[in-house]
Amino acid sequence: MRRDWDTLLREVWAKVREGHLFPELPQPQWSDGQERVALEIKDKKISLSRPFVEKMSENMAEADVMEGLLDHAVSHHLSCPWDFPTHMRLYAEAKKTLKEPRLAQLATDYFMDVVADTYAMRQRETPLPKLYEHLRRDEVDEAIHALYQRIWGVDLGIKGHETVSRRLSRIPYLDRRRWTDSIRRFSKVLHGLLVKEEEDQEGANDDNPMGNHDLQQYSAQEVEKGLQDLAREAASPAEFKEIIEDFEEEILEATEPNEEGMGLGPGRSLDADVLYYMKLAENYALPVCTVPTKKSGSLYPHHHAPWEVGMPYREIDPWTSFGKIMPGITQIWKRREGDIFGEEEDVPDCLILIDSSGSMPNPKRHLSYAVLGAACAAEAYLRRDAHVAVYNFSDAHVGGRRNLGYTDRRFDIYRSLCHYFGGGTRLQIEDIEALQTDEVPDIFLITDMQITNLASLIELFNLRQNRVTAVHIGDNDSVRTFRRSMAPRKNVSIFAVEDKQSIPAIVLGKVKEYLYS
Amino acid sequence: MKNPFQDFRSVPYHKREIPLDRIVRAKEETLELLVQGYLQLVEEEVRDLVWLVEESKVEKAYNAAIKRIDGSLYDADDIDEFCALLDSSNKLPYLISGPAGIYISALVNRAQEDHIVLSPKDYERSFHFLGYKLPEGKTLVLQGDVGDFTGSGLFGGSLILEGSAGNWCGAGMMKGEIRVTHNTGQNTGEWMRGGEIHVDGTIQSVGTKFYGNTGYRVLFGGKIYQKGKLLVPRALVKEG
Repeated sequence: MRRDWDTLLREVWAKVREGHLFPELPQPQWSDGQERVALEIKDKKISLSRPFVEKMSENMAEADVMEGLLDHAVSHHLSCPWDFPTHMRLYAEAKKTLKEPRLAQLATDYFMDVVADTYAMRQRETPLPKLYEHLRRDEVDEAIHALYQRIWGVDLGIKGHETVSRRLSRIPYLDRRRWTDSIRRFSKVLHGLLVKEEEDQEGANDDNPMGNHDLQQYSAQEVEKGLQDLAREAASPAEFKEIIEDFEEEILEATEPNEEGMGLGPGRSLDADVLYYMKLAENYALPVCTVPTKKSGSLYPHHHAPWEVGMPYREIDPWTSFGKIMPGITQIWKRREGDIFGEEEDVPDCLILIDSSGSMPNPKRHLSYAVLGAACAAEAYLRRDAHVAVYNFSDAHVGGRRNLGYTDRRFDIYRSLCHYFGGGTRLQIEDIEALQTDEVPDIFLITDMQITNLASLIELFNLRQNRVTAVHIGDNDSVRTFRRSMAPRKNVSIFAVEDKQSIPAIVLGKVKEYLYS
Repeated sequence: MKNPFQDFRSVPYHKREIPLDRIVRAKEETLELLVQGYLQLVEEEVRDLVWLVEESKVEKAYNAAIKRIDGSLYDADDIDEFCALLDSSNKLPYLISGPAGIYISALVNRAQEDHIVLSPKDYERSFHFLGYKLPEGKTLVLQGDVGDFTGSGLFGGSLILEGSAGNWCGAGMMKGEIRVTHNTGQNTGEWMRGGEIHVDGTIQSVGTKFYGNTGYRVLFGGKIYQKGKLLVPRALVKEG
């Protein structure tokens, strides 16, 4: 009598786990899915298709079918793609070679399968070759199986595809440092066959029997963290957009958008530019001064800096280091002599004044330090449950301005920050006045200071008691005028941003002397 | 007392070798040899990183390249991968299009295969001198645009260019055939001694100096066709 399916799966899973040195994966489950698709991975959970296993058991033992499928799935987790950013990076390289998104996706999927299966073959005795011998194949599958014959030294009953399999067999699949080059060569060699397959299918979605590699295999947290990494690595917003825009729906599905997560409200579409600055800003954790202070002579944590080996552990800030001690990720507090805490207060709301005139770079094309700096400031206030208003200006007097009232909706804030006018630079002081509240919000100004009515702004800051953090991009006469005019004001802190590294040094709402004492 | 670590035990692990390891290792050894040969050629022939095209210098560089690769075992896939390696400048200290093209041509001419396909369209840089001295019995297919002196000194081989060539295409060719699906640049067929050049697109200009010039603008045994029509020699034109 046939053993219970669940018992059999538990037994096979125990064997597979041991063979792969106990990966951190949950117990796989059965699904009553299609006969055509053997397995699915969603949020790290592996589901095997019972109809598929039943069908395949006509040719081989059920336990072998299950073991082969589990080897394949676990190898994806352990070797390739390993994580969401690697998946995206591989896709980006494939797209550079193949140009077409659909072809790039196919090439990436095939490449990840080859790496994972070859890893499994190298790792342990696996029934994968037996499984592939009986799997249905299209032409690309045949070429891939011909490759397996060469690089695994097995017979899968494939004849032909000599040239393609020979060229593919030269790729060092198991060397992850060279995957960038490898997938380029892989895509190049398979290009013709992929085009033919797409034409034959005429856009029909033919499922991969070994499971499709959609983004749902990753957890929402992985996708969030992965997007942060990709944003940090991308040379420009355009490069980030190039990778992300083809996965808009999948990213939205994978992350189950909500205000606490991605910050996109229901029904929102994914704006790659907004997402880029959002994820990039999450890499920086700017501190906000919250309490009245007085001179004490003692040291206090002032701003963050990257931690390096040899630096004291006691200064590490675990909250901004993602709980990890690793150079490049971990952040350390830099202490400065100065103030001590006095009476506690809440963080006030923040009014962000951002210059998007023609002298500033277009944030959709180039990395804009203005938008990034403003985004970091917005993040810092939102983290402390404060609200943020945005006044984005260029030729404000002729309509070149965008006002957003106080809100905690991140997407709306980022949309306002990323808007680019590209005209002249003139503020409407009455617009800023209109955004003043009784609570006296902090003001965060980021500009190159080439504002035609800079004198009006200086006058406003001289009259008002808001804590002002003014950040200037570059250096020019206007910057020097502003610095000189604001020097006596103790509620105004001025910072210069030359590059991404300057951003962590900004301390929001810093005051030289507490204003209300 | 129970040993709390008794469940922990050493698990013997033997790295399994699969044919892929051997294939990749062999390929990398071959590529390393080709790279070393190229670097030595560049070191010796182009010491000052300035390389002027002179017939004697080209000939000398080619002979030096042949000497470097003599006895090496490689195939068309190795040449293709070597070209990709040359193209990604971060992996090799420097690339000079002339000597690089001559070295690739030497590799093609000494390869085991008679029919070789290379894809310059996949490379960001353009190589000169591809197909230099291609011998009889060899066919070289170039997919994409190429640099200057393509097929120069052709020696009986068949060069098929699926793209456009730069200037001096087929310069000094002896025999054989060049087929260009797009355009050629200036001085096409300069110093041509024999063979045929077929161009499906436009020819910016044909060469004015021909081997054995006796006062007539005539190609000695060489013919240039444009879109199927004989372009040179159209007629004997008396100079002056």
